Amino acid sequence: MDSATGDGGVPSSIASPIPSGENSVWADVTHLLKSACEDLREGELIHGENFDLFAAMSTLEIMDPKMDSGIVTKYYSIDEAIENGAAPVPLSFDRTVDIQCVIDVMDHLLACEATWHKGQSLAQTVFSCIYLLRPDLTSSHPLLHSYCRVIRATCKAAISTVSNARTHEEEDYFILSHGLPLHGDGDDKCLSILNAVEETVSRQLRACKSHSLKKRVPEDIEPLQTIPELEEGYCKAVLCRLRFRKHFYHLLTTMRRPQGRGLELAKKHVSSCLSELELMQKSAAFLRCEENGITKEDTPIETTASGCHPIGFDATLNSRICTSTPPRSIKTLSWVKATQYFKKLLEDLDIVCSNSLDQSLDEVLRFVVQFQKAQPDLVARSHLQVLLVEDGKLYGRDSMFQVISRAAALPQIPPNHEIQKHEYIVQLGQLIINLLKILCTNAAWQRRKLGKVLQDWRVIYMQLEMAFQKDIGQIAGIFTDQNLCKKVADHILMWVEEQTYWIAFRFLVLGFELELYSPAEYCMVYWYMYVVLIAQAEKAHLRMSAIHDTAKRKGKKKRDSLKDAVKDHQIHPAVLFLQCKICIAEGLAVMIAALRTEHMNLQIQSPFNREQERFMQHFDLLQKASIPDRVSYVSFKECTAYANISTLPMYNYFKDAQKLAKELKGNFSNDSDRMSELRKLEQVAEHNSVALNLISRLGNLDSSLKVSLEFNHHPYFATVVVKRS
Amino acid sequence: MEKPEVDEPSQSASFEESEIEYVSYGGEHHLPLIMRLVDEELSEPYSIFTYRYFVYLWPQLSFLAFHRGRCVGTVVCKMGEHRNTFRGYIAMLVVIKPYRGRGIATELVSRSIRVMMESGCEEVTLEAEVTNKGALALYGRLGFVRAKRLFCYYLNGVDAFRLKLLFPRPELDISQMMMAHRDGRQEHSHDHLPQDQCCEDHHHH
Repeated sequence: MDSATGDGGVPSSIASPIPSGENSVWADVTHLLKSACEDLREGELIHGENFDLFAAMSTLEIMDPKMDSGIVTKYYSIDEAIENGAAPVPLSFDRTVDIQCVIDVMDHLLACEATWHKGQSLAQTVFSCIYLLRPDLTSSHPLLHSYCRVIRATCKAAISTVSNARTHEEEDYFILSHGLPLHGDGDDKCLSILNAVEETVSRQLRACKSHSLKKRVPEDIEPLQTIPELEEGYCKAVLCRLRFRKHFYHLLTTMRRPQGRGLELAKKHVSSCLSELELMQKSAAFLRCEENGITKEDTPIETTASGCHPIGFDATLNSRICTSTPPRSIKTLSWVKATQYFKKLLEDLDIVCSNSLDQSLDEVLRFVVQFQKAQPDLVARSHLQVLLVEDGKLYGRDSMFQVISRAAALPQIPPNHEIQKHEYIVQLGQLIINLLKILCTNAAWQRRKLGKVLQDWRVIYMQLEMAFQKDIGQIAGIFTDQNLCKKVADHILMWVEEQTYWIAFRFLVLGFELELYSPAEYCMVYWYMYVVLIAQAEKAHLRMSAIHDTAKRKGKKKRDSLKDAVKDHQIHPAVLFLQCKICIAEGLAVMIAALRTEHMNLQIQSPFNREQERFMQHFDLLQKASIPDRVSYVSFKECTAYANISTLPMYNYFKDAQKLAKELKGNFSNDSDRMSELRKLEQVAEHNSVALNLISRLGNLDSSLKVSLEFNHHPYFATVVVKRS
Repeated sequence: MEKPEVDEPSQSASFEESEIEYVSYGGEHHLPLIMRLVDEELSEPYSIFTYRYFVYLWPQLSFLAFHRGRCVGTVVCKMGEHRNTFRGYIAMLVVIKPYRGRGIATELVSRSIRVMMESGCEEVTLEAEVTNKGALALYGRLGFVRAKRLFCYYLNGVDAFRLKLLFPRPELDISQMMMAHRDGRQEHSHDHLPQDQCCEDHHHH
């Protein structure tokens, strides 16, 4: 393989980076290859029988820096790098320079860690640090040693959560740590060492402060470094970095306590982390300062606060240690971006910690959806998932049957009742666990998985329905009370259907977030949202009424019967909330259809297919699962084909939505998330109502009107913008 | 893998559309032309074997665009069975900067798609970076739908869209569907369940 050196001989210095084995020996094949090359003509290839063209595609070109990860850049091994002084300990014999360099290592590691969290491999980021790769190397340098230990322990904790959550299917790079010394001897005691070092530095800081105040230094303390004027600045810069690591490690471990028992404490660590992070950001001014005795580099680098190049990093070393390393060189995030990343991560973790641990499934689902709006990254998402699903139970506490009972408002069923063990009930519980996990994945993956599980929800519905009808003997055997049996069946079926439509709607909405729809497709998308919402609202209404009935019967005698009758006809606010969305979705679908009829754009004419093929492609998974029942491209066409600009304002879709949103605010005053969405819905409705009137008055007359759709009020309900071109 | 037609070309070449000559892949002498264009313009690195894999097995699906003897654009594709579907795949599409915005990419890719259609493909797919607005617009006009988003698909960490073009099938004809609908027959019933399609997507890293 050394033919690339050109002279044909094997250079002695690299003669045997890998020793010969029992059945193999290193031989120079340069000559053989050379003569083979002379015989080959352009386009010819020497290959074994099983080496086909597809296999050829996976080949790498040796010595192509874009592909060849084994290409030698500087050192052949970690030992060689260390021998050549790539990772000295101490980093400098000048103690001021040493501290400055250690801070650079800390900062660059933070940048590497953020880059890793953002999807690059651990080997090429954090473990490009030679000090981390050789745990013993730093043992004579307590500060660096303690920092390296806590970094390794933190990486290990993060990997443990992420691999536990298994949300990482597309992000599996995160957990690849094969061949890396992720666990140094004594890393589990990293906090006690870190605390000791922190204590020393904080004493040094106290000492230098007393010194500057001309007070007597209480004990004889050796300063952190040698330049008195810089002592305070360096002590502070080191302290906030150490404390950040301490609280961050604490945070990751306390969040993992069973049944969410550590959340309250974790929240405190979040706020400690955030304040230390702020101090780190502030320390950058001092570290960049010219007067701190360090010669500055001509081109400051971005991965450290000081702008100085960190000592002891070489990403190429790992490309041969760790086979999973991708062959590309990667770009490390800047230190500023890294601190921003950690701020965001901490805020996301704070949301996870704010979970009340006493939510019904409905509330849990809304919590997750709300959490996902901030587009949290893998680590935060994994923590939420591990919190929600533990040992097959919600919060590691509530059995899935309890969850179903509460969600479907089942009547009181004795504990350990046989129904809990029914095959399909168990399966339904599995589907819920699966759903919770999926909702914690990144939006792209989430949508694909949701599309697939819709089918499972449909199937379980049919199986339950059949079980309740046909195997009535078996099920009824479980129940002594026939009425109870029927009630349980009705409630579960209603709830499963409603939940299925909830998933379908989430699937459709995620298409907006992922930008999967083009404006030419909005018409059919809003129409589909409209039909799914109607189905969902219908089931939700039935379920709410059933709950209401039960509740009413329980406390009937005490209430005024007339008042009750009025209440009976009321629709639950949660259903009216859906109703509001129904109006907007229908309004948008019909309005866009009308605009298309008037040839005011929003459609395409493809030379290769028609709208119905595009409809099939977008809604294939829903169609195959009959969600909703009896809905097809034909029904879409029938609903929208005759939409007409001039008659549109008569239908009041947006006015109705606006009115509903306004009225509903009173019902959700304690629910800030839904209040904020109601305000957005109201804005969309109001805006579109005005735009619609304008278009219908001017549409036919004014051909210079340009209509476009924008998402400036609501994430997936567009507002119509009318401009003169 | 796509990078054609970025909005307004900064240094556009002056030429008549009729001066552009489109040629189907004609042999090894075309290979260096294709490789040079793709290497320069696309983010992913490909070995020579990758190019040969495509052009040797499906020479009829690769096209080159020439202007006065100079190769200014190319498209490389394949087709084959994929989960019970005969599917075309557009692997690479490139038009060099000065020639963008003049429909060359559209013409190149349309030629490939037509051959795929005639060869019995049911659909055509490809991946494009989410940031490549030009390519997304081009394929959108041709009837491609963004079927899914692929998280960090490219080696450079950018997400991709999987785009899909479904060809019309006779049984999907709307007039027939309308008839069926009026006859009161239901298109959908509970026993109509799809086969599982849970194979994971091929992921480049």
